[in-house]
Amino acid sequence: MAERGITGRPEHLAPVPGPQPASDAGTLLKAVARGDERAFGKLYDLVAPRVYGLIRRVLRDPAQAEEVTQEVLVEVWRSAARFDPDRGSPTAWVFTIAHRRAVDRVRAEQSAAARTIRVGIASVDTPYDAVADEVTLRLERQQVRHCLDYLTELQRQAVTLAYYQGHTYPQVSELLDVPLPTVKTRMRDGLIRLRDCLSAEAAA
Amino acid sequence: MTADVHSLIGAYALDALDDIDRAAFGRHLRECAACRAEADELREAAARLADGAWSVPPPRLRDNVMAEVANTRQLRPAGPPPAATPARTPPSHRLRLVAAAAVVVTAAGAGAAVYTVQDQRVRRAETLAESARQNEARVRSILAAPDVVVRDEALDTGGRVTVASSRLQDAGVIMLAADGAPATGQVYQLWTIRSGTAASAGALGEGQAAAVQLVEGLPAAEGVGVTVEPAPGSATPTTPLDALVTLT
Repeated sequence: MAERGITGRPEHLAPVPGPQPASDAGTLLKAVARGDERAFGKLYDLVAPRVYGLIRRVLRDPAQAEEVTQEVLVEVWRSAARFDPDRGSPTAWVFTIAHRRAVDRVRAEQSAAARTIRVGIASVDTPYDAVADEVTLRLERQQVRHCLDYLTELQRQAVTLAYYQGHTYPQVSELLDVPLPTVKTRMRDGLIRLRDCLSAEAAA
Repeated sequence: MTADVHSLIGAYALDALDDIDRAAFGRHLRECAACRAEADELREAAARLADGAWSVPPPRLRDNVMAEVANTRQLRPAGPPPAATPARTPPSHRLRLVAAAAVVVTAAGAGAAVYTVQDQRVRRAETLAESARQNEARVRSILAAPDVVVRDEALDTGGRVTVASSRLQDAGVIMLAADGAPATGQVYQLWTIRSGTAASAGALGEGQAAAVQLVEGLPAAEGVGVTVEPAPGSATPTTPLDALVTLT
């Protein structure tokens, strides 16, 4: 229905620059899928702080987080060609792999009952926190924090206990002392609200 | 029948299912395409929570990862190679991504009815964007940006102008869909407005009623205007605005 664009009229329209040079995660991931190690280095720089930060938040233990982060990033390299853009964004794909690995590790440990000690260790700050503090003003971080405030208290707790601490929904139900069906609903509604807020906040 | 399983969708997106529930939910997803789409969207939102967990890894990690990567064989793509598929991805997927990204809630007071309208605007934006073949990759990256905001206004002469802009991409896309082309000798012209001054963002050809225009740096502008100008366009607007989309 739409007519052709007006790009065929350069005399009236400013020339349009091509795609941005390799800063976009999608472009990088495509190059990585072709075995481009340099592109992988750039992708690493783009996502590693979030992958490491997320895994560390879930696992608490910096040394373990480092180990799992390495596994995850190598997995990103290994399976880059399997990324399906129909299913979501490249960064979400990476963070989904990272989160799953972190959660798997937590659950394995819970069954080994080895976790309590590690939580104690985790309260000791590492020098990296100083660097991390400098970037707290980053747009995305502000945005996601702000948007978490936009959830109801129960939605926020259900979502963050599951995501940042790797709890299953029955565990969350126990921790919050609310029935299972309520937890399921709050998780879903919380994510929907988060999604809507993230898109809206970007404009502000 | 599947309603009970489906209620696990939020927990699934948060990896909050144990292995048994997860397997059950996986079966549910295989049987339900709409549920897969919803699960993907919720996962996309959940993954944004990683933004809130930023922490700089130890510098040695990069060296270790790069060293291991150099010795790690990559998997082949599952299914047909990308080259075998048409250059454009199915509209449904892009639509979904953008729809997820572009729901605009104005402050806290706006009602839920806005969502549907936004969704329609995004659909329209998507349809129009199809025509911008040369800029497709860039346009797509803007429409798929996590922070894309879509605004639109009616043209006084009938039709709509839609503006999608992303600060992260520092660019925007103006999509004009007039009900018809202006009279002979006249053209639609697009303007970006900065500090109250209009600069041309391009004029359409005579007889043209629809256009997609990529504008770098658009988020810095206050607004986007549309006028009807004598062909082949003017240096500054010579007629009242047919539509004004405010960006601030």
